Amino acid sequence: MSRTHSNDETKIALHEVVAEMYDKIVKGEAPTMTLPVRTKTNIGFDEKLGVYKYGKKRSIRDATSLGSAKQLLRALHVVEFIEEMIDAGKSSTLREMYYISEAWGLGKFGSQNESNNLAEDLEVVTKCLREDFKLRPEEDGARMIGNLTLRERNRRGEWMRINARDDVGDSGYGVPYNVEEEKIELLEHDINFIMAIETGGMFDRLIENGFDEAYNCGLLHLKGQPARSTRRILKRMSEEWDLPVVVFLDGDPWSFRIFASIAYGAIKTAHISEYLATPSATYLGITADDIMAYDLPSDDLSPRDIEALKAELSDPRFADPWWQEQINMMLELGKKAEQQSLAKYGLDFVTDTYLPEKLADLGLA
Amino acid sequence: MRMAGTAERMAKNQKQVAISEFFEKNKHFLGFDSLTRSLITAVKEAVDNSLDACEEARILPEVRIQITKIDDKKNIVELKSEDNGPGIPQRSIEKVFGQLLFGSRFHAIRQSRGQQGIGITGVVMYSQLTTGRKTHVRSKIATEASAAIVDIGLDTRKNKATKSNETREIWELEDGSFKEHGLEITTRMKAKYQKGRQSVYQYLRMTSIVNPHADITFTDPEGQVHHWARVTERLPTKVESIKPHPHGIHLGTLQRMCSESTDSRMTVFLRNNFSGMSTRAAKELLQVAEISEKAKPKSLKPEQYRALLEAFQGERMLNNKPVKLLNPPTNCLSPIEELLIKKGLSKTIDSRFVTTMTRAPTVTQGNPYQVEVGLIFGEGMLADKPVEVLRFANRVPLMYQQGGCLLTKAIESVDWRQYGLDQAGGRGVPKGPAAILVHLASTNVQFTSEAKEALADNSEVMDETRKALLEMGRGLRKHLEKKKKMAKTQEKFELVNDIIPAIAQKSAEILGRPIPELSGSITKIMSAVIAESETLWNKETKQTDISITLFNYTSRARSYTLLASWPEREGATMENNNTGGRKEATGVWAWKLETLDPGQTYVIKFSLAGLEKGDWTDTDVFFRGSQDVIGATKMDEKLLEEIRRQEAAANGDEEEEAADEIPIEESKPLPAPEVPPPNGQQTLFGGGE
Repeated sequence: MSRTHSNDETKIALHEVVAEMYDKIVKGEAPTMTLPVRTKTNIGFDEKLGVYKYGKKRSIRDATSLGSAKQLLRALHVVEFIEEMIDAGKSSTLREMYYISEAWGLGKFGSQNESNNLAEDLEVVTKCLREDFKLRPEEDGARMIGNLTLRERNRRGEWMRINARDDVGDSGYGVPYNVEEEKIELLEHDINFIMAIETGGMFDRLIENGFDEAYNCGLLHLKGQPARSTRRILKRMSEEWDLPVVVFLDGDPWSFRIFASIAYGAIKTAHISEYLATPSATYLGITADDIMAYDLPSDDLSPRDIEALKAELSDPRFADPWWQEQINMMLELGKKAEQQSLAKYGLDFVTDTYLPEKLADLGLA
Repeated sequence: MRMAGTAERMAKNQKQVAISEFFEKNKHFLGFDSLTRSLITAVKEAVDNSLDACEEARILPEVRIQITKIDDKKNIVELKSEDNGPGIPQRSIEKVFGQLLFGSRFHAIRQSRGQQGIGITGVVMYSQLTTGRKTHVRSKIATEASAAIVDIGLDTRKNKATKSNETREIWELEDGSFKEHGLEITTRMKAKYQKGRQSVYQYLRMTSIVNPHADITFTDPEGQVHHWARVTERLPTKVESIKPHPHGIHLGTLQRMCSESTDSRMTVFLRNNFSGMSTRAAKELLQVAEISEKAKPKSLKPEQYRALLEAFQGERMLNNKPVKLLNPPTNCLSPIEELLIKKGLSKTIDSRFVTTMTRAPTVTQGNPYQVEVGLIFGEGMLADKPVEVLRFANRVPLMYQQGGCLLTKAIESVDWRQYGLDQAGGRGVPKGPAAILVHLASTNVQFTSEAKEALADNSEVMDETRKALLEMGRGLRKHLEKKKKMAKTQEKFELVNDIIPAIAQKSAEILGRPIPELSGSITKIMSAVIAESETLWNKETKQTDISITLFNYTSRARSYTLLASWPEREGATMENNNTGGRKEATGVWAWKLETLDPGQTYVIKFSLAGLEKGDWTDTDVFFRGSQDVIGATKMDEKLLEEIRRQEAAANGDEEEEAADEIPIEESKPLPAPEVPPPNGQQTLFGGGE
């Protein structure tokens, strides 16, 4: 199911982008780059794939303003850089590319964010992945713990067999940035479900309380908004092992977005949703009604929180009745709560009471 | 001889008011209430005296101030002030320095710096009170070979000066030459030198802004020398004293004037002692006040003063109308004038844009007054802080009580957001990299208190100030809009000159194809005619070099007449104008250009001689033609017509004989000389043709 392209395919796709600019100049017009609109107004549910993908809206970035002209020039430099890496058999991090751009004169990046966005632009336009471009993210992947076994190919090219319970320390198995088949093979497991957890504090709490063994599950630390590799390995485990996935997050508008990116696909990466999203994932908590039901210590919603919730109401990914109800309830309540607020009832409350009750609702405990 | 005449006459005019005891009790009113402020006040009195004296004697002032710390623990400092004024005759020294409220200015109605002569005597007194020391004076007048030297102290009970160590000496300067005339004061006082917004430094800096004709040097206690050079040789216009206007008189003054009068009858008294008074007005005033025309002013009764005052103020009327009085003359005012404010601001604050506005003189409550404002904007000042407010009354900086001052209130009442400055809620002192100057010149500046630091409310003055600020604001907005437009144009140039060629080259490289021709894309992207003008000071030639470039970035041929403003009125001459053209009106030059093909540019170059650096920093470019030109303004033909009319009228005034002929001459259409085949013409896209 690997989606990577061969080096030649990648080059051809990139050349198409360059040719669009070149041809426009030859025709006496302003050079352009055509790309899908990357906002929530242009994502729709793909019935076949079961995830949200970009729709048909296209935006044209043309060189009639200084800003977009510079973007085009930068894209050309990036294309050239990728070709050089492909030919030399090298790869670089996005951050390295940002620094390399110092030498690009007029085409140099103003910020790291610009270079990240442009790499994404090129992915979207060419339908290639940044792995095809030999670009690596800076972010490290998540941590994982539980009775599951996989094989990872190390730097020397040797396969290592790793059990994520017996062969790791307390910090668990570190997920590498590349989790494709050529790097990782999922071998076997003895778990009933996977739980993805937002904060490191909660992940460590569940480990300390032995929750993974007591409930026979795999624990995955998301580290906030999960990296691509985290979402990808979650999807692979869910599909290849046919395991249920539950997601345990803070109870605030930003957690809702994290869940949407896990289950339905992120807006920024909607071009590869089918490759990253886990449609079967379930939102375990903290829900708006948990705040009331468990009388959790909470904070008032900030104006930004409220704005985010309102934006979610019109986000197609949250269009189903359950989400609409949760979002409206949180707005009405005017409160949000963190995972760790469960500690109000003691350190074991989360593992002894909260999670068992929530999992029982789903038939997992 | 003339110099002595001036000095002697000035001394003679002084009258005496005995309030030395008053000072001791009320020194806080007089600016001696804190150690920091006392020093500023002392400097202020010395400098005001010097500038006033120089102005009256028509001397370009050179003022040197030096402050030395004598005893840090006890806060004793020495102030030394030296000028090149007319000096004071030896026998007048003790009068000038020894009596409070001594000075012609207290009684004359005229714009002057101190206005109330607490003056230098206050400094002598403060020094004596705080250190027990006398003030050392050295004075040289032009007619005498040596300088008078004397130590002045005060007997505050008898309102009399005490003199000691009186002698005469040759005043030799550092370079071995002899001082022609001038005054030097050395005095020690309990005071504190501080830096900041309220400091001697700031006071002198502000003084130099509104006195561009003065050369001021300041040596601070750390030995650092600050120099504000003279930027004009032009002295402020000599101000005439005027008689009081009936609208501005108070009962006490009227009473005193009457009782001191030797006039034989009231009509003569009124005509002689008031401005704005015609014989008719005098008779009518007396009629409504029910006073005989033949009454002797000296023998008026108290109720008659009141009746006369009521007649003055229009409370007693003739046929239900107040007695009509003429306005007082306004030649008693000496505004700084726009160009000099510009120079003053530019020399103390290094910035790119200055705009100024001097309103016409007008009258409030019988007192002539005039408002002037200036604004300096640009780099070198803090963008996120409130603008610096520089307040002046009769060329004297106001440094305290900013919030309570009419001038500040006027600034605060303007919505500066519409002119491009930040201002929370459209009220208050705006924020931005700017300084705003407001100057009120008046024969009678009304302060909120004796401290004379804030102007009292007056709706007419407020209105005038606001009008001046608004007009100035429009200038700022125009400048900012132009700057924005220029930045945009600059971006477009970068786009077509740098980025598009780079895209073409890089894409060709990656694809392995030839570099494509760019002219089509560039024309498409710009799709405009653009004028770019540059006004630069040329250090070597001491001229201002101006170049105007017209780019046709459209797909069609265009033809235009370009016009540019230039400071013809200010006496500049146009040099090296190799593209010809013709005079369109005073200060407007025109070039009729040949047809400009797509992708072509045309360059006009000329220089301006007879100007100084900073006089001309921005050239306005106009055009005549159907298609808009970015970077130029469509010529307003009506405005041009108006300029020509004014010119014709002005010429008519000067040469009355020729007055009839001028309109005919002007109405004849001038043949527009064609510009010679332009050698500056070239194509934008190298190798395109």
